[in-house]
Amino acid sequence: MRRKLPTLAFAVLVALATAGVAAAGNGGFAPVTPASPNATHIQHAYYLILGFTVAIFILVESLLVIFIVKYRSRGRPRTVEGAQVHGHTRLELIWTVFPVVILAIIAAFVFYELPNIDSAPAAAEPIHITVEGHQYYWQYDYPNGARSIGTLHAPVGAVVDLKVVSPDVIHSWWIPALGGKIQAIPGRTNHTWFQATKAGSYDGQCAQLCGVFHASMLATVQAGSQRQYRHYLATWQDTIGKQIWNGVCATCHGNLGQGGYGPAIANNSLLIQPNALHGIVHNGFTGTQGAMPPVGDTWTKAEFDALAAYVKKNIYKATPAGATSGG
Amino acid sequence: MAVRSETAYPVGWKNGRVASWLVTVDHKRIGILYIATSILWFVAAGILALLMRSQLATPGETFLTKNSYNEVLTMHGTTMIFLVVVPIVAGFANFLVPLMIGASDMAFPRLNALSYWLYLLGGIVLWLSWFAKGGAAHSGWWSYPTLSENFPWASPGHGQDYWILSLHILTLSSLLGAINFIVTILNMRAPGMTWMRMPLFIWAIVTYAILLLLALPALSAAITLLLLDRTVGTHFFIPSQGGSLVLYQHMFWFFGHPEVYIMVLPVFGMVSEILPVFSRKPIFGYKAVAFSTLAIAFFSMLVWAHHMFTTGLPVGLDSFFMISSMVIAVPTGIKIFNWLATTWRGNLILDTAMLFTLGFIALFTIGGLSGIFLAAFPVDWQLNNSYYIVAHFHYVAFGGIVFGLFGGFYYWWPKMFGRMLDERLGKWNFWLMFVGFNLTFMPQHMLGLLGMARWVYTYHQGGLWEAYNLASSIGSGITALGVAVFVANVWRTNFLRKGVRAGNDPWLADTLEWYTTSPPPPHNFDSVPYVTSARPLRDLRRRLAEQPQ
Repeated sequence: MRRKLPTLAFAVLVALATAGVAAAGNGGFAPVTPASPNATHIQHAYYLILGFTVAIFILVESLLVIFIVKYRSRGRPRTVEGAQVHGHTRLELIWTVFPVVILAIIAAFVFYELPNIDSAPAAAEPIHITVEGHQYYWQYDYPNGARSIGTLHAPVGAVVDLKVVSPDVIHSWWIPALGGKIQAIPGRTNHTWFQATKAGSYDGQCAQLCGVFHASMLATVQAGSQRQYRHYLATWQDTIGKQIWNGVCATCHGNLGQGGYGPAIANNSLLIQPNALHGIVHNGFTGTQGAMPPVGDTWTKAEFDALAAYVKKNIYKATPAGATSGG
Repeated sequence: MAVRSETAYPVGWKNGRVASWLVTVDHKRIGILYIATSILWFVAAGILALLMRSQLATPGETFLTKNSYNEVLTMHGTTMIFLVVVPIVAGFANFLVPLMIGASDMAFPRLNALSYWLYLLGGIVLWLSWFAKGGAAHSGWWSYPTLSENFPWASPGHGQDYWILSLHILTLSSLLGAINFIVTILNMRAPGMTWMRMPLFIWAIVTYAILLLLALPALSAAITLLLLDRTVGTHFFIPSQGGSLVLYQHMFWFFGHPEVYIMVLPVFGMVSEILPVFSRKPIFGYKAVAFSTLAIAFFSMLVWAHHMFTTGLPVGLDSFFMISSMVIAVPTGIKIFNWLATTWRGNLILDTAMLFTLGFIALFTIGGLSGIFLAAFPVDWQLNNSYYIVAHFHYVAFGGIVFGLFGGFYYWWPKMFGRMLDERLGKWNFWLMFVGFNLTFMPQHMLGLLGMARWVYTYHQGGLWEAYNLASSIGSGITALGVAVFVANVWRTNFLRKGVRAGNDPWLADTLEWYTTSPPPPHNFDSVPYVTSARPLRDLRRRLAEQPQ
């Protein structure tokens, strides 16, 4: 009975783990369900390593438990010595060589999968999009000069080549379902790619500490039909003001400009002075309440105009009578 | 030693209860100072961890957010690494190295005292930086520029400057200590103690000291350049003016990865001491365990860029660092299997010291195995900087290193203070920490795989995210209870003086520190036996047993 105990315990553990996986899709036992070939091939490598490591885990931990149960002192005094074994060269060679073999298999498999992870399918004609990490939002530039904030629009099935850059601090681009991370490093241009295999909205977030609002630096890839994609490219200017407000300004100043980490600005008359607004957004600002990063240092005039129009219409509320201006 | 003679301390004021600790150059007292100070910071940085887990317990918490959260995470990491693990290892080594090799003190006792006081100063500088203009450093313990640069939107104020100053002081302290250990071990071993008869802990400490000498200068250089950027207007790490951020990453991790082994190798050494004594057996494969220490140290200098797989290095470089990182798993595996074999056919005495040591093997194995995923760089592209990483390195640093250190506490406490820590409280301490630790960090693997990034102060997903986070936060509370039991145990043993008096050798151990009294007299040994094997005390016991009455 006593010897069956560890076996039993492990059977229960394995059953629990399996039930967990079955119950919750992958439930956190593997990377999120892939929706792009690179993520799929990473998943393959993950499962291979998982197989080996689970086997080694069970081997080591069960040996440990078995030895503890079997060789525990059971009241034998400390003066009783165990077997005075000083080593065993052949055994030691085995547990040196065995891991080498396993690791070699893993490395070989990684190299086998690597071309499918690292490079996009050769035949496809990729769409080139620039991803710019910025405190604290993601900005996307499309081939025709269109731009979006926070949400990247892409057609299903198309290979999308991403050029990842940053003008301020290091960020890290990560949409788990669409592949691995790549850092957005100031002074450097990195590349990654994805090919959404089915329509949907794929969430991710910045994976490098980038300052106060690192946690708010979310990203979404919206994979839809070619028509939806082209529609966005044609109409981006209609929504860019709202996108900027929601994706950039609201992070600190609140959804309605009521204030948050940054001061309340809904009543601030700067909002209806386009030139002053342009200056502060383009250059940043250091005041008594802290510093505002130059969030808009890569925005075009059209975007500023859209933002100015949006805040004037939707955010700005004239100062209530009797209150002082300049919040 | 309670009794002090006038000749040993001729000047009156130096005999004072407090003053005698302030002026001491005795390696044992310095070791105890190191350990006590580290424990204080362990508790402080642990409280920071509890604050973070409280914030993350449920989605959208507002308990500790934004800059405060970033300050807390930076201080937690920096404190645990530079003010807890590295110095506590130095403390154990200070106390144990001369005793284990049969010497009367370290080679340079005054330098040794200087190391300790520099460490204390460095720690105070770091913790006073909470009050610096702009608050404490908040760019993470890596302090990657440009976030750590002196821009209004990055790290203005002086917190980051104090962080740099503190690390410079601590580095100086560690370098002086390292030189001291190397000189002591090379020159002051007892007669007969050849390299192949040295305790494995001594092997670990000499390797630790060499790694410190090789790795720390890279950190000093990196943070000096950062300091120059911040204060005198250079642009080493400001890309818009020609600087390179990847350069900092290389310099930091060239130090940062050996640092992991600087912390863990001495704990491997402790495990290799404790495990045989409580198995009533010799270590299985002494040479393999000793040489695998050297192998790990060598390869640890060649794996740094596996922290940089998402930097966008050429695939050729990534491949090299994948293979070197996998290579280092081999000597580590050798150690684990040799430890397992040490328990085989033993007479396992399951005292608290042994429980923590066995817990170390169980948990460190998990930390090692999860590291293989991270070595395979395409898989790392998924897992890097997610909560999976947080889980992985806590299995190494807490499940491995801290459990090993607690084993060390319970094992060497009687030698340090002459009294045994209580076994009943010890068992509570172990089981609370073991259960709490696993509950805290096992779910974090899953969180990372679900897509939760590191360093975030909040999240808005319910479901599994919420469940795993809540479990993790509850686990952190249980772990804290375990640590509280330890503190109570120390209180009971040392301050209420209820700990059972220990004789010279309560565990029937193998090494020379158990040859002298507990605690040892200022000069350590009246005489040292000629060492004929790696287990001099067992040899002595056998000789005594064989002698006719």
